[in-house]
Amino acid sequence: MASTVIGAGITIEGEVTADEDVVVQGTIRGKLSARDAVTVESGAVVEADVTSGPVSCAGAITGNITSTDRVDLQSGAKVVGNVKATRITIADGAQFKGNVDMDV
Amino acid sequence: MARDASTIIGRGTHVRGRVTGDGNLEVQGRVDGDVALEGDVVVESGGLVASNVSARRIVVRGAVKGDLVASESISLEEGARVVGDLRAPRVAIVGGLVRGYVQSGDAQGAPRAAAKAVAARPAPAKALAASAPQASNGSPAKKAVAPAPSARRVESAPRAVTLAGGAPAPKHGPPPPVVRALKKGAKGALKKRA
Repeated sequence: MASTVIGAGITIEGEVTADEDVVVQGTIRGKLSARDAVTVESGAVVEADVTSGPVSCAGAITGNITSTDRVDLQSGAKVVGNVKATRITIADGAQFKGNVDMDV
Repeated sequence: MARDASTIIGRGTHVRGRVTGDGNLEVQGRVDGDVALEGDVVVESGGLVASNVSARRIVVRGAVKGDLVASESISLEEGARVVGDLRAPRVAIVGGLVRGYVQSGDAQGAPRAAAKAVAARPAPAKALAASAPQASNGSPAKKAVAPAPSARRVESAPRAVTLAGGAPAPKHGPPPPVVRALKKGAKGALKKRA
């Protein structure tokens, strides 16, 4: 159960910093930092650099993703930006454009 | 519609920036930036909103530093701490502490906020150039003093300066600074000579 939810229909322009899970169903423009998991649900739009724990994306992210854990791009996800994480999965049907850095 | 589209800013979350849209918002954490929603806003105890909030209904059990404007109602409950104005058709202060102006009812009085004085930006270089020769007909001390007041003065009559453009100085622009500059300069000069 996530503690912070950005609901559909809500737009945040600015910086979001969280010490907990964040679920995005709406729109964030700016910057998103979370200590824990970030879930970008289908229909959500994140135009921001994302720094967090595990990222699970089924929506759209435009911006660089830096994760201390894994990044999962699910089917239907649309990501434009560089991804830095320990593990990355890109599901069939996900769109992705950017560099991948997995600390080989 | 908003019922299901609920947004929660959790306890450990800090938002710096604007929050807009339609849907309900629950603030348990912190928001610095304007909140403008079509739905309901609840600031829970422990929540802190340091900005203006406008929504349909606003319920406060936490802290708000900023104006609250609701299209339906505002309710301050136990634990609320509000520093700012409240404006809504219905305002209920059930508990909590408030410092600010409260306006309930449909009467939409003029907002108390002072009208923004839109200070037009003059072209400072040109203004200085225009005023410098006139200031220089005094002593060197006067010349040194002249630019600052003239630049300040020009702000109040920028149009005259920008419109003039050419060599003939406008009637309204430069003269006041010269008077001011002379006053200040004259004092300085008197002191130095004394």
